[in-house]
Amino acid sequence: MIGERYTGWWFVGPAGLVMALILGFPAIAAVLGSVNLGWGSTKPFGIDSYLRLWGDAEFRQSLWNTAIFVVSVVSLHFLLGMSVALLLDRPLRMRWLFRVIAILPWTMPDVIGGIIFRFIFDTLYGGINALGLAIGWIDQPVDWLGRPGLALLSVILAEAWRGYPYVMLILLAGLQAVPREQYEAAKMDGAGAWQTFVYVTLPNLRTMIVIALVLDTVWECRLFGMIFGMTGGGPGQATQNLTLLVYRHYFQFFDTAYASSIAVVLAAILLVAAMPYLRVAIRRAE
Amino acid sequence: MVRIDVLWRTAARRAVMAICAAALALPAAAQTTITYSDWQLAQEGWGKSLRAAIAEFEKENPDIKVKAEPVPLGQRDVRFSTAIRAGEGPDVFALDTNPIRQYVAEGWVRDLAPFITAAGGRTFLADFYPNSLVPVTVDGKVYGIPMNTVAMALVYNKKLFDEVGIAAPPKTWDEFREVSKKLTRSSTGSGPVDRWAFTVVLAPAGFDLRVSSIFRAFGADFLTPDWKRSALDTPEAKAAFNFIIDMIVVDKTIPPGVSQVDANGARRMLANQQIAMKIGTTWSFPEVSAMNPQLDGLNVLKIAPMPQQPGSKNPIHTTLYQKSLFINKNAKNPEAAWKLIKFLTDRPQMERWFDDNAMLSSRRSVNESYSKIKQSVPASVVANEIQYGAFLPLIPQWPQVLEVIRQNLQAAVAGSKTREQALADANKEVNVILERK
Repeated sequence: MIGERYTGWWFVGPAGLVMALILGFPAIAAVLGSVNLGWGSTKPFGIDSYLRLWGDAEFRQSLWNTAIFVVSVVSLHFLLGMSVALLLDRPLRMRWLFRVIAILPWTMPDVIGGIIFRFIFDTLYGGINALGLAIGWIDQPVDWLGRPGLALLSVILAEAWRGYPYVMLILLAGLQAVPREQYEAAKMDGAGAWQTFVYVTLPNLRTMIVIALVLDTVWECRLFGMIFGMTGGGPGQATQNLTLLVYRHYFQFFDTAYASSIAVVLAAILLVAAMPYLRVAIRRAE
Repeated sequence: MVRIDVLWRTAARRAVMAICAAALALPAAAQTTITYSDWQLAQEGWGKSLRAAIAEFEKENPDIKVKAEPVPLGQRDVRFSTAIRAGEGPDVFALDTNPIRQYVAEGWVRDLAPFITAAGGRTFLADFYPNSLVPVTVDGKVYGIPMNTVAMALVYNKKLFDEVGIAAPPKTWDEFREVSKKLTRSSTGSGPVDRWAFTVVLAPAGFDLRVSSIFRAFGADFLTPDWKRSALDTPEAKAAFNFIIDMIVVDKTIPPGVSQVDANGARRMLANQQIAMKIGTTWSFPEVSAMNPQLDGLNVLKIAPMPQQPGSKNPIHTTLYQKSLFINKNAKNPEAAWKLIKFLTDRPQMERWFDDNAMLSSRRSVNESYSKIKQSVPASVVANEIQYGAFLPLIPQWPQVLEVIRQNLQAAVAGSKTREQALADANKEVNVILERK
């Protein structure tokens, strides 16, 4: 009887072990590394890295940049994604083609996107300045990536374009699951387009919106390639986010403990950000 | 019958002996494969001559096969550090001086003492410039063999100088600023400015050599001579820092968008005649010429020592660059790896590096006696500057120190900090890094 009781664990065990190795090992390695217990560490155990974080102005700046970047990009993704999803949910001729076109930005690797946008925003050769000069919008080239505010804005706009299809696809899937009868009932009750959107579409999309926003927030918090390719975190530290700071300390300065401590803090932030998603997932499972 | 029997037995004996000999010879004939990684393998001109040298090495050493692994300079340390930490990585690899102390501190490179002793010890090392051995030596142990050593200097377009009536390159920074104003103009005479005097490199790739050269030519430096404190609080450092910002912000003799300009971007601007001067060295000639063959770079481009600050007492007025070769601590065939290093740093290959890439050797005898180097004006200028040059600080914290200086200079140029604040912040942050255990 006892054998039968535990049979299920034998089936789940191998998959669980693989999951634990793939997901757990890097996480544990990062936590151990942050307190000088990583493999190859020659320093004694200590929490100096976390104490150092507390007084590090560059860490605070990177955290602030990450917050501004994520809030702006996720908001733009939601607006763009929702608008395009609503358009693509309508009966259109050759709708499949528009759907393919709409997800094209998502297919671009973010490092490549970063390099392309770096050229687009280049002061001397960039397309944005060429266009601006041609139509008389500006009278001299703008140093888009050389001014702190403009550089952050440029990176936000570029990532807003590249990443919106992810949110759009989730919302589109949600839109297609909304019962058509509810729209018909709203129409019969005399509801206008805005009222239908607010009282029918949005309530039905609530779960999908939570999922899309949470997953997008997690993704954008970890973003590396787009920023690295476009500005490298500059000018100064104007566009440096936490992921870039981890990269610098780990790969450029070989400071494993400090890089790991930043990564652990970032992971903790992401865990908090992912709570709404986990709640939705648990509720669904129940 | 006897004769046939004897013949048969002899033939059989010979066959058995041949099989035994072949069996014994088999392990000797087995090929050892070693890997060699170098960012210059990823560059067209350098890659070509390195591959030719490797082919020659394999011909001379049929028992060793070399697998070339190009790596972009920007990804070099990421790849090497990840691979070496995991017990892998290329057997032989090239490094510039910046990360050497970190690699040694992490124990990622082998002490070459046994190989150097076998190769002749002090006699073997005697041909290398004494200062070229400094970056690769830690606590008396030699970890790498220098390959190329050059000094940074001022590369300029003589044709653009002639067009505005400037006869000679500037010798002082005041002259440099005046000349720069003349060189910044419209190529058509009436349109917007499309020709500038100079560019400074503010992106990570190339910042170290070029901006440090400006500081040193002002009589300043990033760190004190013992590398224990920041030297950014000196009047000379302030003058150099302000000079760069004035060129960009006040004079506008540097093209806009300078924060994004890396070493390659500066070369492209010189190749396209958007700028008339840049900081470079002998390698600028083939590289800039290849970017724009119509420029006729080998004739139009000239080189001169860095401009100086009158009255400067600092004997060092430029920065030295060096590429050296190292053996990975994880190398499974260190003897074969050493053979490759020795081959690539021997005289014939050193001459090849100059013939193909205009690179000076770390071997004094090559620079002083190779006829093509002796006849080359740019090579003579750069070789002469080596005595006035110094390497960048050889400390494990150096990449972080450099990044702090770069970010603060960028912030001052971008206007997110005042120049005084940026320099003070850089000075303070550098000291914090150096004081940290």
